[in-house]
Amino acid sequence: MSQTLLPVTVLTGYLGAGKTTLLNRILTEQHGKKYAVVINEFGELGVDNDLVVDADEEVFEMNNGCICCTVRGDLIRIINGLVKRKGQLDGIIIETTGLADPAPVAQTFFADDDVKKAAKLDSIVTVVDAKNLIARLADSKEAEEQIAFADLIVLNKMDLVSAEEAAEVERRIRAINPWAELLHSVKSDVPIASVLGRESFNLEKVLEREPEFLSGEDHHSHDSEVMSISLSTDKPLDPERFNAWIGQVLAAKGQDLLRTKGILAYQGDDRVFAFQAVHMLADGDFIRDWKAGEPRVSRIVFIGRDLNRPQLRRGFEACAAEAATSAYETELARWSPPA
Amino acid sequence: MSATYQPEFLIDTRGQVKETEAYVVGLGFCRKTGALGAGLGDGTVRIGPDLTPHQAHEGAVLAFTPDAKAGFLTGGDDGRLVTTAEEAVTLAKYGSRWVEQVAAHPDGLRAASVGKALHLLDAKGEALKSLTHPSTVAGIAFDAKGKRVAASHYNGASLWFVNAKEDKARFLEWKGSHAAIAFSPDGTHVVTAMQENALHGWRLADGQHMRMSGYPSKTRSMGFTAKGRWLATSGAESVVLWPFFGGGPMGKAPTELAGGDGVFCSALACHPQHEVVAAGFEDGLVLIAEVASGKILPVAPPAGAPVSAMAWNAAGTQLAFGTEKGLIGWLDFSAR
Repeated sequence: MSQTLLPVTVLTGYLGAGKTTLLNRILTEQHGKKYAVVINEFGELGVDNDLVVDADEEVFEMNNGCICCTVRGDLIRIINGLVKRKGQLDGIIIETTGLADPAPVAQTFFADDDVKKAAKLDSIVTVVDAKNLIARLADSKEAEEQIAFADLIVLNKMDLVSAEEAAEVERRIRAINPWAELLHSVKSDVPIASVLGRESFNLEKVLEREPEFLSGEDHHSHDSEVMSISLSTDKPLDPERFNAWIGQVLAAKGQDLLRTKGILAYQGDDRVFAFQAVHMLADGDFIRDWKAGEPRVSRIVFIGRDLNRPQLRRGFEACAAEAATSAYETELARWSPPA
Repeated sequence: MSATYQPEFLIDTRGQVKETEAYVVGLGFCRKTGALGAGLGDGTVRIGPDLTPHQAHEGAVLAFTPDAKAGFLTGGDDGRLVTTAEEAVTLAKYGSRWVEQVAAHPDGLRAASVGKALHLLDAKGEALKSLTHPSTVAGIAFDAKGKRVAASHYNGASLWFVNAKEDKARFLEWKGSHAAIAFSPDGTHVVTAMQENALHGWRLADGQHMRMSGYPSKTRSMGFTAKGRWLATSGAESVVLWPFFGGGPMGKAPTELAGGDGVFCSALACHPQHEVVAAGFEDGLVLIAEVASGKILPVAPPAGAPVSAMAWNAAGTQLAFGTEKGLIGWLDFSAR
């Protein structure tokens, strides 16, 4: 049963960054498509062709013993309602409030089976105010998390900053999240096609972009808590080893891990496995076959706080099918809950 | 293998099917005329053997129930509460918010939930009161006598006396998100279906909690059998029935009916007189199961789309089912 899943774009951004301007641009542009737009307060928004849904951001904890496992209950209900409508929508756009943590929105698309049957996360777009970002990063954990979660960052109000200021803002963004695509804008004037239907959660695209940032060192600056780590190996992985290890890592470290993404080559398997997680909630699937002559390199990236690169690297490498069993067991035990 | 077993489906001999091409949100039989009614994802309410369409909502019907006295009560994503008998009549407009849940009681009471509010209306459609909850209401139910109304939401359910001079809810607390809700027919228990593939119940006399878990998916449809001895639930590969007698369901294992082929039960309806459950599955299979004997009567073959709605008429002589893709089937069991 293959059904087309509704692509979902999540629009985040700190208060005043230009998020509503971007949303208005999307809604007023003649794109010939029909979107459901989930917003928190009705403004003068609402254009003939689109369906505007008024929602409260209602976050609740899943009863699975994991305090970071929060989801948006209102989105579960809204998506269950939208699938009943006749006539296909082209997608869903969810605007979050300025202070919102993006995790519950993203986790909703991993945690609820009915939602997973109907919709898939296309991308998380974060609008950033170039002039005020550095001040926001100093006083707001949310501003940092919104950047950490982003697949696309719209660096807005570029007319208000000098070239030096712009370079510094970019450096700060890259220190938190080196994989997101960055677009510059003045009044959120970015091409709509670059925002919607990106398939950012098509991990391959994300990781294809990676080499330009892959300098072998971690992206971490002292002015930011959030860092990122990229690991790769050309030794085929044992799927059972990897699943057990990543499961333990996410269980032990999930609160600090904002996003984890990977493209994996399994021993004896000609298919590419894509893996992703938001905090502790993970998902994965085979996405295509490895191409002839393509190097079968497994890569994984972690974005989060307080990450220990040598530990993660040793663990990842021990998941190789040819790695010594004793080494693997040591690495697995490192993340095991205390007996 | 020439001797493949071909079950005979009752729909072929005693029923008929129609294709509506819109998600079947709810089915029921009119309390006055006994006519079949359906609420669909295209905003129509269909009534009678020809499924005559009435445009009740601009978008989709989100909630559907036979109205208190006659016709059908629906809530829509156009923010309206509508009753449809001969024609669609708007009872209330709640702005831009969706009307996500409706309920009606034969005494003339109607309830509709919009966000955190539960609105009560009388038989004429006049607003009686609005009851506010700590979070969005995800399920509502009247007790059999229409004296109390229960609403499920985050972290539990709220129980209100409909005629109270001062509205003060009894809060039934249990952490998590609660959706579908049901009263036992004798009004002594309230049960909710939770986000976490489990049910939670409260014995109202002493607040005793009941946890019913082990489901592989969410329970979306549930109901008590005629005399309240069993709670029948969807969400597993079989129809799962919890015993509400002999001290149960606490410490008792549930009974499972019609299981075995690895497809989840997606909707069910308990017979109004007998301990018989009609169940629909995610592949479109519909059957009737007798609780005591476990005997199964095949009703309709798997038509592909999940069964999304089921209903018996009050006499228990007619059964209707509908699917997410818009197939509606109904059968007449009365003597011919």
